[in-house]
Amino acid sequence: MQPKRVLVALAGTSADPDIIRLVASIAKPAKAQAIGIHVIEVRWNLPLDAVMEQELDRGEELLESAKKIAEQAGLALETELLQARDAAAAIVDTAVERKCDLIALAMPFRKRLGRTYVGRTVQNVYVNAPCAVLAYRQEETK
Amino acid sequence: MSGEEERPEAPSLEKRVTQAGRHVGDRYVRIVRPIGSGLRGHGGRYVATEQTMVAAGRLGRAWNAGLRVLIGKRLHSEAEAEERVGVATGLPILASDNISSSAYATEEAMRVLALAGVGALALTMPIAIAVVFVLAIVVLSESRVIRAYPNGGGSYLVARENHGVIAGLVAASALLIDYVLTVAVSTAAGVAAISSFMPEIHPYRVPIGLALIALLVIGNLRGVREAGLLFAAPTYAYMLGMVGLLSIGLFRIATGDVPPAAVPPDPFDPAGTVPLTLLLVLRAFASGSVGLTGSEAIANGVPSFRRPETRNAVFTLVLMGTIFSVIFLGLTYLATTIGIRPDQNEIETVNSMITRSVVGAGSPLYLFVQVSTAIILLLAANTGFTGFPRLASVLANDRFMPRHFADVGSRLAFNFGIASLAVLAAVILAAFGGSVNALVPLYTIGVFLAFTLSQSGLVRRWWRLRNPGWRLSMVINSFGAAVTGTVLVVVAVTKFQLGAWMVLLLIPLLVALLYGIHRHYQTVQDALVLSGAEPRVPVFAAPVVIVPIARLDRAAMQALAFARSVSPNVKAVHISTSRASGDEFRRRWERLGTDIDVDVLESPYRSLVQPLLRYIDAIDKSDDRPITVVLAEFVPRHWWEWLLHSQTAFRLKANLLFRPNTIVIDVPYHFQDTADLSRG
Repeated sequence: MQPKRVLVALAGTSADPDIIRLVASIAKPAKAQAIGIHVIEVRWNLPLDAVMEQELDRGEELLESAKKIAEQAGLALETELLQARDAAAAIVDTAVERKCDLIALAMPFRKRLGRTYVGRTVQNVYVNAPCAVLAYRQEETK
Repeated sequence: MSGEEERPEAPSLEKRVTQAGRHVGDRYVRIVRPIGSGLRGHGGRYVATEQTMVAAGRLGRAWNAGLRVLIGKRLHSEAEAEERVGVATGLPILASDNISSSAYATEEAMRVLALAGVGALALTMPIAIAVVFVLAIVVLSESRVIRAYPNGGGSYLVARENHGVIAGLVAASALLIDYVLTVAVSTAAGVAAISSFMPEIHPYRVPIGLALIALLVIGNLRGVREAGLLFAAPTYAYMLGMVGLLSIGLFRIATGDVPPAAVPPDPFDPAGTVPLTLLLVLRAFASGSVGLTGSEAIANGVPSFRRPETRNAVFTLVLMGTIFSVIFLGLTYLATTIGIRPDQNEIETVNSMITRSVVGAGSPLYLFVQVSTAIILLLAANTGFTGFPRLASVLANDRFMPRHFADVGSRLAFNFGIASLAVLAAVILAAFGGSVNALVPLYTIGVFLAFTLSQSGLVRRWWRLRNPGWRLSMVINSFGAAVTGTVLVVVAVTKFQLGAWMVLLLIPLLVALLYGIHRHYQTVQDALVLSGAEPRVPVFAAPVVIVPIARLDRAAMQALAFARSVSPNVKAVHISTSRASGDEFRRRWERLGTDIDVDVLESPYRSLVQPLLRYIDAIDKSDDRPITVVLAEFVPRHWWEWLLHSQTAFRLKANLLFRPNTIVIDVPYHFQDTADLSRG
């Protein structure tokens, strides 16, 4: 696959640097554009455009550091910060709006009730995205 | 629409755009923020991160990279607390001046006594004991200063608060002069120590001294903590070397194996050239008192210490006094017992001769002592670099010195103070040919003047406040003031003709200068301060806008367009050098079909700036409204292309800068700009 525009969903986990480097290895040879987004999930008891200072600061920081990692990997990463009720829906909608042909997301290795756990966001993006989805899971820590 | 005019939206760094999702309830908000600009924050409150400091041009980036290599990474303001030092690091930073004085204090006293012959050198030890006694008084008194003024400022603050502003400025001036001399003397002494075992560098002592000052500047621009870490090892090495030397020397003397005295290359006349008088003894004491310099630095720099600042500062002060006394008395004892005589031309130091006598010139300890002495003497200059910028910043905050002295640099150091100190010390070092002997008479007056003012200031403070234990404190400080005052008189009288008059003359001049600066700032503040009755932003009448036009081009069009956006009262003016060119300009202007009036000014003497200034004067006289001059300025792509242009706009700006009631607006036209004047 030779993507033209890749959307990288960044959650601020330890898997973010891995997915950025992975996307760089895909996007660079294809000369594809890369867009990194971080979605702040807003609880239902708050208005959708509520100013959540801590989350905004964290989001800004992680996007800045993503930009740096991408730069080191030779990739120009455009970044965007979003607020939504459901991160997965915002990721998919942004991918549709920006005409992305690949969504890349990452998750750290986690276990819940003895089974490997894939989060709600990854699952929903996987199910609802009209474009290709690349879900990267970190290796199990020993 | 109501009576209020609709105001266009003010620019904002953050925009929130609500987007509809594919499904109902999937709305999301896109936050358009200044990501990548280096500005972080929201709601009108932004923080400029380190990313904003990245230069745009190649030259700027290279300059920044060079600076980072030399002075290190930028430090955040919050790192200030981490930049503080403990006792172990504080000792080399703030006490190296005093401790290093032990390397040459003995020699300075001996050099004066040697004028009266070898026999007079026996008085060196009593003089050393007297100096140590004065130091003990100073340490005791300074510990009171530290406790009373834990925010630093030292003698200046104490004198200002208790004796008044002028006394404070006298203390500050004395200390500022002394810090400059500390750098010059210490550097000269450091070079002298090196030239003792490398005589071939003796003719180059000035350039070597200047290079060493440059090194100290770099070290200090890296910040207090890093400077301390850089300088800690040599200070402790010096102490170790001295302990080794004194132990071996004292052991040899105690066991009856008194080493033969090393002979200086150019000794004084053994019979002496002047009689031994009380004045000569006092002069020797004054010269030996050079060892007391630097003991005020700790009281001045209390805020540099980690918490508890007061306790750490007092502990460092006592430690400093003890270390100095042990080394100074030890070296003096060895010198007098062995029978060392000083060298007339400072080719070899007394310290070097003592070491040579005790351990031999070929011994590794000899090299170790000489190298560590040279280094600590240089580090003593660092005390000046710690004290001067801090005191200057305190004075700048009190508006007695230019504001730049209070500016904190990228490494939380007072860069302007450091650079100023280096320049002044370099000039003095060069002017005195790098000679320690020539510089020392200038030294110590400032310190003792500051000591006396602060001690007597504290006496007044204790008398006024009468805190618990005030009587004891008052006795200590009264005694301290009497002792330091006496030493001050002795130093001033005995060294007056040798150069101390320069310092005594400089102090009142500097006080007048500091006071003059303060008066200027006070006047400016009075003129700018808002009174409670005028809290609103005043309403400005639309100004008369004058647009000087050299030729009708894109830059001129842009300036005219901007002028019209500022005010409806726009007037263009063209200076022509002949009637024909003026007529030609007017024809072209009419073809332009603009409603802006133009005046064509003929200048048969070909001057552009002066006729234009007179024209602005004439307009200003005939109209009460403020004048705004909009200048069209062509900006070439590269800096060197500036040289190819006449810079008329720049010259006009310079001439209009001090003109009252005139606003000057520069409309730059960049070379790569398109002709899109309809923009916006």
